[in-house]
Amino acid sequence: MARIEFVDVGVTYRRRGGGETVALERVSLAFEPGEFICVVGPSGCGKTTLLHCLDGLHATTSGRILIDGREITAPGRDRAMVFQSASLMPWRNVVRNVTYGLELQGVPLNEAIGRAESMIELVGLTGFEDRHPGELSGGMQQRVNLARALVIDPEVILLDEPFAALDAQTRELMQTELLRVWDATKKTAVFITHQISEAVYLADRVVVMSARPGRVKAIVPVPIPRPRPASARRDPQMFAIESEVAALIDRAQPESVAV
Amino acid sequence: MTQLTQTTAGLVADDLPRPRRRAADRGGFFASRRVTEFLSIFGGLALWELAARFLVHNTAFLAPPSLVAIRFWQMLADGSLAYNGWVSLQELIGGFVLGVAVGIAIGAAMVQWKPVDHALEVWISALYAAPIIALAPVLIIWFGFGLWSKVAVVFIMVVFPMIISTQAGLESVDRRLLLVARSFCASRWKTFRTVALPSAAPFIVSGMRQSVGRGLVGVVVGELFGAKAGLGNIITTASSVFDMPTLFVAVVTLALAGVILTGILRSFELRLAAWRDVA
Repeated sequence: MARIEFVDVGVTYRRRGGGETVALERVSLAFEPGEFICVVGPSGCGKTTLLHCLDGLHATTSGRILIDGREITAPGRDRAMVFQSASLMPWRNVVRNVTYGLELQGVPLNEAIGRAESMIELVGLTGFEDRHPGELSGGMQQRVNLARALVIDPEVILLDEPFAALDAQTRELMQTELLRVWDATKKTAVFITHQISEAVYLADRVVVMSARPGRVKAIVPVPIPRPRPASARRDPQMFAIESEVAALIDRAQPESVAV
Repeated sequence: MTQLTQTTAGLVADDLPRPRRRAADRGGFFASRRVTEFLSIFGGLALWELAARFLVHNTAFLAPPSLVAIRFWQMLADGSLAYNGWVSLQELIGGFVLGVAVGIAIGAAMVQWKPVDHALEVWISALYAAPIIALAPVLIIWFGFGLWSKVAVVFIMVVFPMIISTQAGLESVDRRLLLVARSFCASRWKTFRTVALPSAAPFIVSGMRQSVGRGLVGVVVGELFGAKAGLGNIITTASSVFDMPTLFVAVVTLALAGVILTGILRSFELRLAAWRDVA
């Protein structure tokens, strides 16, 4: 578990043929250890940029990102990313996809496979260890993606719209599963999504962003007790928070057109 | 969890391979591939035999396949085919292994370091497009009549297509996987080994398959210009005394070698590329 701080973070992309795009502007945030944070906002609000900066895949143009007071300059073992497309290696089977991060850390293969197997059990894929990604459904691929990140035992887990490509039923199932796994591992989690109901169901606090330039519009706490079973989705308080967030996002649209 | 396992099990069942329709089921005698292939080979040999016996009447111009078969058997029995075949095979393997190794190394270096690419690109496209086999006599002069001159000829035939297929393979890498490697703190070398190289492997093996034929051309042409033994040498000596059956034995052996080696690499290629079909 780790405390994350964004101090006045700005990211500017240079466009081809001149000109600049401001992806993030003066973003200041603080996430508490063990917190589940969801970031929502219209497309183009810099959500993914924010997450990539936190993972160290992308440099900030200004400002600093700190984890437990240490500034982030590159990817590290204390963070692991669950990617938007499952991004599994098609030539590796499920176990060896999960062991990938451990292999890079120099963990002996036997030990890595042992740790991967217990993580595969946690995400509910026991029996599929020898399958290749091409033989798995989208939901199962995302379970592998999640296990691959969790197995290196990071302090922070970063999730970049991991369920966006799944059908509605699988997505809800995966959300409940994610909460169960997160409950068992207690990581600080930062989850990017454009789905309001997903954000509210998962998060302790929802960060609402506005687009172009990407700024923090508001932070909405979700004081619904955990564990949150699937039935918590129909909690009236949940609906109230969802409409609050929706209203914030509507006002966050830069080119919203009155009808 | 029980509901979950059912869902996932159902999804996996959908992914199971469907029974394939066999070509022969569509009816017709010629619908079966094997039958057509057999008839084609048999018919071709029969035409060759008839043409040689009733049209040409001269084994110095065209030997019928029956005579070639007899000579093939004789050369197998006296060991001359095995001896010369072994000489040629050594030349092929030596040049092929060197060509593949150097080709992969240069192709990889060109993808990893842009200056290398810029420096070599022009040379490689020019030499790949040129009939580089024309350099064979030069290589014979440089390296003599022994093994190494033919290894060198095979090498220059193999190395250029290998460079190009390695490059193509490495450039086809899924950018998202490179991001995964970076996120997991992979070094540049580890990224190359765990992401780029496996992605490129099917391309590289496919390049090897296409290079086998070029390598065989290298062996024969190299031996035509100067050799003490080998299948190409058999062709030269046999043609100088109009010994058609012996000449054809060497040609047929080379063709068989090409078919067998290509087949081995093809099955290797299919195994490697299996993940691409299901992915």
